[in-house]
Amino acid sequence: MELKPLVLIVEDEDTICNFMTAILNSNGYRVLKSDSGGAGLSMTASYSPDVILLDLGLPDIDGIDVLKKLRTWTKTPVVVVSARGQEQEKVEALDLGADDYIVKPFGTSELLARIRTALRHSPKSMGAESKGSDKFSVGDLEINYGRREVFLAGKKVHLTPVEYKILALLSKNAGKVLTHDYMIKEIWGPYSSDSHTLRVNMANLRRKIEKNPGEPKYILTEVGVGYRMSEELT
Amino acid sequence: MDPSEERPDPDTILKEIQAGPDKKQGKLKIFFGYAAGVGKTYAMLDEAQERYRSGTDVLVGYIEPHTRPETMRLLHGLPALPPKIVRYRNIELREFDLDAALRRKPGLILVDELAHTNAEGVRNRKRFQDIEELLNAGIDVYTTVNVQHIESLNDAVERITKVRVQETVPDSIFDRADRIKLIDIEPDELLRRFQEGKIYRPDRAETAVHHFFTKENLRLLRELAMRKAADRISNENLNEPHLSEKMENAKMLVCIGPSPSSAKCIRWTARTAEAFHAHWAALYVESIESDFLSKDQKKTIRANMDLAERLGAEVVTLTGHDVSVSVAEYARLSGITNIVVGKSRNKKALKTLFEPAFEDKLISLLPGIEIHIIPDSTSAHRYKKPRKTGGEPNFSFSGKDTVKMFGVLAATILLSYLLRSFGFADSNVIMVYILSVLVVSRVTEGYAYGIVASVVSVLSFNFFFTEPYFTFSAIQPEYPITFLIMLMVALITSALTVRVKTQARLAVRRERRTEVLYEINKKLLATRGMDRIVGLTNEYLVNLFGRSVVFFTEDPEERVTGSVRKAARDVDAAFFHSEDERAVAHWVFLNQKRAGAGTDTLMGAGAFYMPIIAQGKVLAVWGISCKKGALDHNARLFLRMIGSQVAMALERQHLSDKQRNIVVEAEKEKMRGNLLRAISHDLRTPLSGILGASSAIRENGDHLDETTREKLIADIQEESQWLIRMVENLLSVTRISEGKTKVAKNPEAAEEVIAAAVSRVKKRFPERNILVHVPDELLEVPMDGTLIEQVLMNLLDNALKFSPGGSAVEVSLKKENGQALFEVADRGKGIAAEEFPYLFTGNFPGTKSPDSSRGMGIGLSICMTIIKAHNGRMEAANRKGGGAVFRFTLPLKEGD
Repeated sequence: MELKPLVLIVEDEDTICNFMTAILNSNGYRVLKSDSGGAGLSMTASYSPDVILLDLGLPDIDGIDVLKKLRTWTKTPVVVVSARGQEQEKVEALDLGADDYIVKPFGTSELLARIRTALRHSPKSMGAESKGSDKFSVGDLEINYGRREVFLAGKKVHLTPVEYKILALLSKNAGKVLTHDYMIKEIWGPYSSDSHTLRVNMANLRRKIEKNPGEPKYILTEVGVGYRMSEELT
Repeated sequence: MDPSEERPDPDTILKEIQAGPDKKQGKLKIFFGYAAGVGKTYAMLDEAQERYRSGTDVLVGYIEPHTRPETMRLLHGLPALPPKIVRYRNIELREFDLDAALRRKPGLILVDELAHTNAEGVRNRKRFQDIEELLNAGIDVYTTVNVQHIESLNDAVERITKVRVQETVPDSIFDRADRIKLIDIEPDELLRRFQEGKIYRPDRAETAVHHFFTKENLRLLRELAMRKAADRISNENLNEPHLSEKMENAKMLVCIGPSPSSAKCIRWTARTAEAFHAHWAALYVESIESDFLSKDQKKTIRANMDLAERLGAEVVTLTGHDVSVSVAEYARLSGITNIVVGKSRNKKALKTLFEPAFEDKLISLLPGIEIHIIPDSTSAHRYKKPRKTGGEPNFSFSGKDTVKMFGVLAATILLSYLLRSFGFADSNVIMVYILSVLVVSRVTEGYAYGIVASVVSVLSFNFFFTEPYFTFSAIQPEYPITFLIMLMVALITSALTVRVKTQARLAVRRERRTEVLYEINKKLLATRGMDRIVGLTNEYLVNLFGRSVVFFTEDPEERVTGSVRKAARDVDAAFFHSEDERAVAHWVFLNQKRAGAGTDTLMGAGAFYMPIIAQGKVLAVWGISCKKGALDHNARLFLRMIGSQVAMALERQHLSDKQRNIVVEAEKEKMRGNLLRAISHDLRTPLSGILGASSAIRENGDHLDETTREKLIADIQEESQWLIRMVENLLSVTRISEGKTKVAKNPEAAEEVIAAAVSRVKKRFPERNILVHVPDELLEVPMDGTLIEQVLMNLLDNALKFSPGGSAVEVSLKKENGQALFEVADRGKGIAAEEFPYLFTGNFPGTKSPDSSRGMGIGLSICMTIIKAHNGRMEAANRKGGGAVFRFTLPLKEGD
């Protein structure tokens, strides 16, 4: 029998906790609940969950601090749960090592999708699946990492080296949101911080791979936070 | 009446207590003696030791190093501040280190010798200024002073000892002291100490004893000191307000002039006014003669004015040709009861034969006022009358004027010859001569030419037109009389002409000053905004004085740089930006006093700094460059006049700023209130829906069929989603109002924001068709991305809601006139004409069914708020072929 993945919910609001538990239980996850940051930390240590859903507004410790502490000793995927309008906080959490975030209020499918992505990118599952993978494909888009080639509906797309780097970076982390700062550092190195260049390259890239750059299918924008590559087309 | 109203409000008291320590002034205790050696320093140290033992944070700031060993022993154990070493002309001087003391901030500091004059290069000229700063910083001070150093007793001491004491302290600091401790010993005992060499070192003792330490002197000084201390005690008793009020009716006025004896009058008035608890003023009348004063005299006037100000007088300068009339006029207008004038016996000018004495005139003009005359005997031998001192420009000669004079005289002689040859009588010739003297006085400067012309004309009349001709002798007996009368007429004519001219010039100058003040006032009245007031003032100051100026509207300590304006003719204005100059301005802000070049404080500065004060608060500080030399008294006075105008303007500006803030606040408050009202109404409907549906399911769960239950749950979901959107809108608004008036803008790719908004809306309306058009060119727009996303979502929501299910909604982005133009268009029924005026206001006045337009108005008004905060514009229109279109623009460049 396959072991059901264990999800730790660190959240002090009972209603939110209740419905998340309901959704997760009925979708094949085991759930642990903790209503404070301190308890969350100790439960992580004792139960070693597969993924943590962390609310940023906790009664005892600031969610960001919980994340910092977690990251000192574990790589367990963390999905941050936050309210809208706190973009700065989300970016901070992502830069501090959170794997993803989800904005309250969220729907069932959104929550499940985030948890699936987080589990897929977790160090536990990384070993088998993605390391050897030489190819990525979603919808009509196909990327061959070995030959550094990109195809759209079978036709080769000509990308500049930077555009390719952006696409490769996003596709390797498909489903995950990458912050502007993270992408800039990955692509141009640690001393660059020019978000303008990133936006220009992104606009060009979209014009090459998307049918309508105003309605992108592959690379989605999270306003104020960063970009996310779709894992599957909806 | 409710008795509780009489009770003090505890909050007020608490506030007072809390505000107390901030403004706490240090307490000053003066150990007061009548001569050196009475034991002031000893007593001070003794008391300090006691305070130290009882736990006070005592610091010895400065004690004269040549103090007696018995006294020095008392220093033992007290923490001391190392003296500051100042090098002056290769001599090392030890001075009190004020800045170190202020940094250390002890509870109590001991500073010996209040009357000490600091070495050059120290911030303040006088030690009492140091002590004032310490007190202002909330530090208690012990200090010592002898009676001969008290400013108002200066003359009295001089009379007793025949020694003029140079180092004086103003009475104000003495009066300010919280406690005075009189240190007293018998003069005999003091003399004994003195002879034992305990007071001065033996080598200096000899000179001192002859001049000062006589029993007679000491006795008188002792009396003076005791009386001063006694005065203070009786003063303290009088300090009750109801007692001092009855003295309000006395007001004294001292007339000051260029004579050093004026200082004596000033001191006398200060003492008397003190004794009567009367206000007093010092008046200087600028007259025609003021123009001809020598440099020294001008300096004396300034010194006298400073003295008067230090002693607590209100210093007034008037301009007038007749001093007595001006004084009388001022006295009448300001309710003066006593006038003090100085009078010297050796004032024997020709003028006094014709004119009544000044005091006689005053008495005739002001019969109801008491006049005190202070004889000026002591300084008679030292002081020469103005006529004899210095270069007097009215008696100087210039080539041009000499030529003019001789030209006129030559013409007169020619004309007279002509008249004579036509046979006119001598009287006509005399008339022509008198006319010539008048003309000469008119066209030349000063008295000299008129007098010379008078003499020359009499001589030439004698020479040319009296028999025997061409000699200076006259045979007819009436001629000498003719000559004499002619000379006198000529002289008087010339004097009168010159006087009229000078008065005209003075009047013009006065006029100009008034005119400039009026002009400044007028311009300031029409000026709004701090920057403009500063600019205007700077411009005027530069034009008037030809010097560079700096204007600080905030305390420069906080890294604020003043607004500098360089005068075209001035050397350099860059020095204003130096740390030192800013420190001076900062000092002025703190101490509310003038400082810098030409004053007693921080005189090393490159400029003269002056505070602009209104209602006890420093609104601004001016600096006027003194790189070209110090400002004279007139300039300072004028500056002060302009200063009061500017103070008014600044005050008005502050008030109107405050007013505007209040209006803006009120407007915001109103908007918030409206929004809240509208929203609470709108929230009620979906909440009742949710409550109804959920209770229906819970209570009747078993009886409901599957479709009904499904329907109810779907309703709950829909209503909750609506509520969420509403709350998000509200959050957006709070984001704007919290972040002042502006939003935090970052460049964002407009297409990305559109894409994000569209994808979120699509999740809610998966079956609907949304067409997105973006340009090929990437448009980067400075914005708060989440807020604009919110706007687009609101517009899309509305468009989808108000258009039929099968129709498409279009979103497009264009670049137009340097702005990004966003459009959301639908194919619904469009906007009714009567709705247009209320579209963005948040409330429709009509009685439309609340459900149909529910929340739309609020959504749109929030959109409008957001776009306005981005400096954008928003509008709505009906499309050709049906449907509505909402457009908004955002500037592409920051600050447009």
